[in-house]
Amino acid sequence: MLNNRKVRLMTRLAMYEQTEGKEDVRLSKYFQTDYVRVNVLKTVVSITFGYLLILLLLVVYHSEYLIREAVTLDYRGMILRYVGLYVIILTVYCALAMIGYMIKYRKSRKKLAKYFRMLRRLRSMYREEDGELTDLEEENVSYDSDNT
Amino acid sequence: MIVTILEIRAQILRFIQKFQLVVEPVVKFIIAFAVFRCINNAIGHQEQLMSLPAELLLSLLGTFTPAIILTLLAAVVSLVHVYVASPLLAILVAVLMVILYCFIARFSGKYGYVVLAIPILFLLKIPYVVPMILGLVATPMTVIPVACGVIVYRMFEVIGSAALVEGATAIEDILLLYIDVIDRLLADKLMIVNIGVFFVMILVMYLMRKLSIEYVFEISIAVGAIVCILGFLITDVILHTQINITSMVFGTVGSMLIALVFQFFRLALDYSAVERVQFEDDDYYYYVKAVPKIHLTVPERSVKKISTNKGTEPEEQKAERLAFLQSGLYSETEEQEEEDGEL
Repeated sequence: MLNNRKVRLMTRLAMYEQTEGKEDVRLSKYFQTDYVRVNVLKTVVSITFGYLLILLLLVVYHSEYLIREAVTLDYRGMILRYVGLYVIILTVYCALAMIGYMIKYRKSRKKLAKYFRMLRRLRSMYREEDGELTDLEEENVSYDSDNT
Repeated sequence: MIVTILEIRAQILRFIQKFQLVVEPVVKFIIAFAVFRCINNAIGHQEQLMSLPAELLLSLLGTFTPAIILTLLAAVVSLVHVYVASPLLAILVAVLMVILYCFIARFSGKYGYVVLAIPILFLLKIPYVVPMILGLVATPMTVIPVACGVIVYRMFEVIGSAALVEGATAIEDILLLYIDVIDRLLADKLMIVNIGVFFVMILVMYLMRKLSIEYVFEISIAVGAIVCILGFLITDVILHTQINITSMVFGTVGSMLIALVFQFFRLALDYSAVERVQFEDDDYYYYVKAVPKIHLTVPERSVKKISTNKGTEPEEQKAERLAFLQSGLYSETEEQEEEDGEL
């Protein structure tokens, strides 16, 4: 006999496992701090790379001027200005990334908790359905108590 | 009238559910094909890529791979087209795409395909449908992929107009072309205007749909359309963006219709049967308003065949019938004639 309630629950579990669940389970392997740190690090790398590319475009754009004024340029001021800009951008991005990934992690944990609640319900359904599981558990318990 | 429409809706939804395995790839294939068609029409330079077999092959590839691959394929195809027209511009586009990815696109999450949808729908003159649907289902954060899509589209527009004046081979000319393209990109008011209006649309629709009023989704679509038209008109007056106003208005109306159809299939609510309940627990007092979803059960129409197919008559039945005929209660010849006539 098919148990409709069980089938429905299992379908929902399977649906979650195959879509969002994958990502959530992956996230659950990290601690929150580790997860946020890794992603902030990724952000730092990508921002640095992107900023370097922008600088490259800028250098080419102003290449004529740069070559003409190569001797008289205020290199120190220029470097300071662009490094300063880089630091500002990086700080803003890191702060936003930190908040964003923290929220994402918490949400994912909540969904995972719901998933486990459903799993527990499924388990209890199995238990209701046939006494085998309970018998087995009782055996285990007695075995454990024997050991201790 | 409304019942018929709802019945059709129920039937279509049931059809999609029943044949999901077939419908999904077919829809994906059509989308992929439309994407490559649009790209080829807009910036086609590479002859081989523009041929029908190549288009079909690419679309097929996009059908059976995740959406991100389709986005990537579209980017590569566009780059190849630009490369054939002007290698320098292709390098520039590639670098700009990487910058875009590093700074914005990688935060777009599961709405990554919006980056592809916006340029394609711009070519079809209905890009407004994207912020409308996002305003219905998503958060204002989706402005990130929307902005990316707008930037990509404007980038190709500007580069397309630059490629026409190209013919340069000397190093100074290349540098001039490069400076010209960058200047035009930075001075592109339409890019900023598009991003701004789309963001306001998503935000207003998002705030609207949180309200507890009847027909809130339909109303927010209408408000989104008004925001869109007014936004473009006002910015046109102030910034002289020189947009095509008729095309914008018709595009917005078309987008609104598409968004309404989308909303109708996503969620049909029965506002005539709203239930309001109030109750309390230890901590709160609750005012609950529950709007039922419309569920129509479509009557199964099955065709019942009355005539018996004589060719597949079971042996037992045949023997029984013969026995009956032989018993003399029925004239066999008549029956035989009928059978012959049918044959």
